[in-house]
Amino acid sequence: MPRPERRFVTFSIDGREVSAPEGVMLVDGAKYGDVEIPVFCYEPKLGAPVGACRMCLVEVEGIPKLQTACSTPVKDGMVVHTQTDRVREAQNSVIEFLLVNHPLDCPVCDKGGECPLQDITFGWGRGISRMVEPKRHFKKPLELSPLIAIDRERCILCYRCVRFSQEVSEDYQLVLNERGASTYVGTFDGHPYVAPFSGNIIELCPVGALTSRAYRFRARPWDIEGAGSVCTHCPAQCNVEFTVRDERVLRVLARDNEGVDDGWLCDKGRFAYQAIHSEERITEPLVRDSESGELVPATWEYALDVAAAALQAGGSKTAALAGGTTTNEEGFLLQRVVREALKSPHVDSRAGLPQVDLGLQQALAAPGLQATIPDLEFAHTVLVLGTDPIDDVASLDLRIRKGVRRNGVKLAVATSRPSALDPNAKLWLRYAPGGEHAFVAALEAAVTGSGDLSALCDAADADPKALEALAALLKDGGEDVVILWSQRLGAAPLPALLNVAAALRLEGRDGAGLIEVPVGGNGRGLREAGVQSNGGPGLSAPKAPGKPAREIAAALASGDLSTLWLLHADPVRDYADRRLWERAAANADALVAHATLLNDTLREHATVVFPAESYAEKEGTIVNLDGRVQRLRVAIGRPGAVRAEWQVIADLSKRLGLDLGVLTGPMATRQLVEAVPFYAGLTLKEIGGRGVRWQEREAASAAPAAPAGPVESGEPLPAPRPNGALRLGTYRPIWAAPEVEVSPALKFLAAKQQAELSPVDAERLGVDNGAKVSVTAGDATVLAKVFVRGNVPAGTVFLAEATAEQSATELLGEAPQLVSVEPYGQRPPVPLEGLARGARPSDDEVNS
Amino acid sequence: MSDKLLFDRIDEPGLDTIEVYMRRGGYESLKRALRMTPEEVLQNLLDSGLRGRGGAGFAMGKKVSFLPRGAMDKYLVCNADESEPGTFKDRELMQKSPHMLVEGMIIAAYAAGANRSFIYIRGEYELQAMKLEAAIHEAREAGFLGEDILGSGHSQTLVLHRGAGAYICGEETGLLDSLEGKRGNPRLKPPFPANQGLYQGPTLINNVETLATVPHIIKMGGTEYAKLGVDNSAGTKLISISGNVQRPGNYEIELGMKSRDIVYGLAGGPEPGREIKFWFPGGSSSPVLTPEDLELPYDFDSMAKAGSMLGSGAIIVVDDSNSVVDVALTLAKFYRHESCGKCTPCREGTNWTVKMLQRIHEGDATPMDLDIIASVQDQIMGNCLCVLGDAMAMPLSSMVAKFRGEFEQYIEEKRAAAGFGEMPEPSPIAIAGAA
Ligand SMILES: Cc1cc2nc3c(=O)[nH]c(=O)nc-3n(C[C@H](O)[C@H](O)[C@H](O)COP(=O)(O)O)c2cc1C
Ligand code: SF4
Ligand code: SF4
Ligand code: FES
Repeated sequence: MPRPERRFVTFSIDGREVSAPEGVMLVDGAKYGDVEIPVFCYEPKLGAPVGACRMCLVEVEGIPKLQTACSTPVKDGMVVHTQTDRVREAQNSVIEFLLVNHPLDCPVCDKGGECPLQDITFGWGRGISRMVEPKRHFKKPLELSPLIAIDRERCILCYRCVRFSQEVSEDYQLVLNERGASTYVGTFDGHPYVAPFSGNIIELCPVGALTSRAYRFRARPWDIEGAGSVCTHCPAQCNVEFTVRDERVLRVLARDNEGVDDGWLCDKGRFAYQAIHSEERITEPLVRDSESGELVPATWEYALDVAAAALQAGGSKTAALAGGTTTNEEGFLLQRVVREALKSPHVDSRAGLPQVDLGLQQALAAPGLQATIPDLEFAHTVLVLGTDPIDDVASLDLRIRKGVRRNGVKLAVATSRPSALDPNAKLWLRYAPGGEHAFVAALEAAVTGSGDLSALCDAADADPKALEALAALLKDGGEDVVILWSQRLGAAPLPALLNVAAALRLEGRDGAGLIEVPVGGNGRGLREAGVQSNGGPGLSAPKAPGKPAREIAAALASGDLSTLWLLHADPVRDYADRRLWERAAANADALVAHATLLNDTLREHATVVFPAESYAEKEGTIVNLDGRVQRLRVAIGRPGAVRAEWQVIADLSKRLGLDLGVLTGPMATRQLVEAVPFYAGLTLKEIGGRGVRWQEREAASAAPAAPAGPVESGEPLPAPRPNGALRLGTYRPIWAAPEVEVSPALKFLAAKQQAELSPVDAERLGVDNGAKVSVTAGDATVLAKVFVRGNVPAGTVFLAEATAEQSATELLGEAPQLVSVEPYGQRPPVPLEGLARGARPSDDEVNS
Repeated sequence: MSDKLLFDRIDEPGLDTIEVYMRRGGYESLKRALRMTPEEVLQNLLDSGLRGRGGAGFAMGKKVSFLPRGAMDKYLVCNADESEPGTFKDRELMQKSPHMLVEGMIIAAYAAGANRSFIYIRGEYELQAMKLEAAIHEAREAGFLGEDILGSGHSQTLVLHRGAGAYICGEETGLLDSLEGKRGNPRLKPPFPANQGLYQGPTLINNVETLATVPHIIKMGGTEYAKLGVDNSAGTKLISISGNVQRPGNYEIELGMKSRDIVYGLAGGPEPGREIKFWFPGGSSSPVLTPEDLELPYDFDSMAKAGSMLGSGAIIVVDDSNSVVDVALTLAKFYRHESCGKCTPCREGTNWTVKMLQRIHEGDATPMDLDIIASVQDQIMGNCLCVLGDAMAMPLSSMVAKFRGEFEQYIEEKRAAAGFGEMPEPSPIAIAGAA
């Protein structure tokens, strides 16, 4: 659906001629003439207006009744009055009615001071109260969920929260119960409203009926300051405003950026700020004491000396990994130190995923082939390939739903695991875990009409008919096709993906193209900054290629590499093959880390841990999925002895004999911009509060030339056949993250391991929801609770990665895995022999 | 021919079966209509001057003509929610002559080009729902519903849906939402159902009586039908009379009949010795009229001119044994209970009005409260999303205006009885500095 064109019409409002885009509602049109019409229920982000509150009544000449300005589109020649006695009388009336049941407990209400009801009452109310009867009473406040408190007496029944649940997040949980003046907001049966985007209703509520339980009574609007920045908890990089009081972040609000988040936040982005002020936060340098073997607090000088000595000793046998909230600047400086001072080529940021050939990367990142985030909303067809946005890039889930619901975007979902978007999709397809390459090759075959579709589908365990339908949809459903694909697909399928894009002629087409979902909050930026084994700054070829993460692990374990340097990276938890990484960390001569929280690996193996900045303390840039360079700004002071990361890296570098020439944060940005040709000339000022897509700047022409023409896609390996065992598929749940675990508000959501089984397999195993099972590959076992999911394909089990315990990464090796799943704990006792080998974990290791 | 159309020999045993209905000439109009083009049928409806019998009195033919032409999913919905207090005519019609409605619906759907039709019947009408189900079944068996009806090429399904007891589901867009399985809340208009109604498709919604009149129009011819009644109020009308009359019930009259002849002639007037205090000419939502207004002819325009409306044709008579305050309170309570709560003036206005009337009832009010009551009604009127709010405000404001003296007397008597004594000087709570 190409974006509608905007034509301007002229109408008159309060005697003034105003020109506004045709079709906008009067409420918005009036703003073009600086006229404010008060509203409560109107919120265009929620979809079509509902006309419920009646606050926006205005007089339109030629129409006898007053009209709701929120639902009346402006028309050429329309004559509107907002200041007549009739209108004022209606506005006074609505305010009076709204206050009939509103408790006026403003002095103890969180919303007081930033409350539309207060403001509109002041601006448009009569100023007197004629109501002497008792108001309605509810028990208050109540927990709507562990995150949200509801005060039903304050609710003015504007329908916003319910519309959000029904028409935006589509979790369909919030409803209005009862009717008339007894109407109240809640869930149908009173269950807690728990959904990934639930927190948005707090911001939507125009009164203090919905408040954040984490923020309740923490501050008044006159105590706080707002600081704009960007959330780094996932690659969606939603724009946020931190509410700051006394150098503490007390709240996170959305900072509506149409190009990024469309004004919504997920609950992780909204509540995980609590991790910033966690008791567990590291606020001073820690150095391992040679006598006690423990990490102990140390001075900066000492810690820097120890770390520099360790890195010096490691020299070219040092490997560095960056991830998490690492900014472009930090990554850029890190790779400089590693490559230039330590003369080691081993630096990576790709979360242990396979290394992608540089030429291929350049081709996939070609500016003309990039779609923008808003394109997801206006494309003819969107293909979501190998990712479930809710887990991998949360707020895009809402963007895609919006496109389907409001603009009729045709959605296709191709994943191995059932996706939250399946119900919205015109077409959903499944392939076996491990069949990614074969699947994309099959898609290429279906789109181009060449190649052996049925053999490829067989290898992917996908339905050829569905693939043909997908190809038809992509080819004939309109030219504007956007493919949202995940870095998790690996390297092998990417040539075929590029060929699909070429066959669909996506390159150079506005509104169409590819969007990669990287793993890690700034995955794209770090690669562009040169933090990868086979790529330098600006996706250039490095002087010497280094080892990708997985090989780094093997080399550390075997002793070929000696030293590990981690910048906001936790490979043991986050990367595949946990046990290899455990060995790597244990075997390393030295481990230097920059982190905000300790974890077992650091506790046991770190030589030096530098206290790292949280995202609210940092300055620097990061890059969004579609190439939008965004700016992190300092919202609060750094706690304790924490220092700026660029400074720590520069100090280390100096000790290693290399002067990076960076004395301030902006100097680091300047160096980065100079090193990345397609960022040329970019300044922090230009990036500003909304960010800039580098592809839209002139310097984009300096992006590395992509190799033209179809690329050789290679022979895909078939996905493993289950043959009695089960295929293992994995995903990283949105709630599997340390910042969730240490945020008191979010803790209850922290991901626990569960084995998603098809009903067929569950029945065969004789297990039901909630039963415990062991999932075993080779000699590694993970314990999980069963979750029977109707649309999981038989023969596959899905486990979560990066859970605090029992993570599936335990089972993940290099190749796609087959696992055996057994009921756990209800079976006859294990033979003594088995116990002796210690194969089974004890009962308390099973998550409760 | 009797002067009745819809209620012609309505009590004949077995009329609810297709056998008796057809023996009396039932479904002949359908056959006739199907021999015409849809445009010709529509022309008959336009010519008939038939106005909607559900309350708003909108010209039926015109409404049909608003539906877009051409092949698409179009719907016909029969509004059988009949929940307006005082209104019970559709009930008798559906119970005793369900086929008349079914036949009318098939003809109307043919004219509108609608292939799917629904009857939304109020939940409490269980017997009527059973009668209709049986009639629909019989009509289907007889080939009057289904594919290619009587070889005309017109196909139609008809589904009966029972509501769950909400007055607001009689409001046409609330009805549509409820029929779609949602909470029965009125929708914003425009878009009007004729353009975007059920499942976003063009939809014709009519009242039971309106649709049941259609076979008679086809039988007589539109222009012939238009000769019945008076100018701008063509045809006959089913009237439900209730309240303080000796013979309450349903009557079919020719529009334009003198109101007094209905209330006294047909319904026998109040019990001997009683005087009529006021009457609702068109259901509980219509502003009340006084005994003098009984001289008016009973038709759409005369009622409108008198400041009220013909509405659903339900006359409620209130005699001097009743207090206007009690009637007002009962009424306000009904509307408060039935307000869907979506829009502010209705939700809060009905609720506040009840609280004020209750205070009057309990002797805790002053005459100043009457001003507030009247002003609250003004604040509701015209400002709501649908007209349920107005449906309370209109009669209430007419009662306060016309019977202010009685209200004031009631207030004083109740105050005295409740021991509130002398009336204090009224003073609204003013906010300092406010205008
Ligand atoms: C609150 C409310 C309740 C209504 N209830 C009914 C009803 O029960 N039956 C009915 O036919 N029309 C009812 N109406 C009128 C309908 O909205 C609509 O005007 C009518 O069904 C149209 O049919 P007609 O043109 O044949 O009269 C109601 C309207 C309102 C505002
Ligand atoms: S809780 Fe808030 S957002 Fe929801 S209906 Fe009430 S006032 Fe509106
Ligand atoms: S007027 Fe009453 S019934 Fe109609 S929409 Fe408003 S609240 Fe609902
Ligand atoms: S803002 Fe227009 S009705 Fe609520």
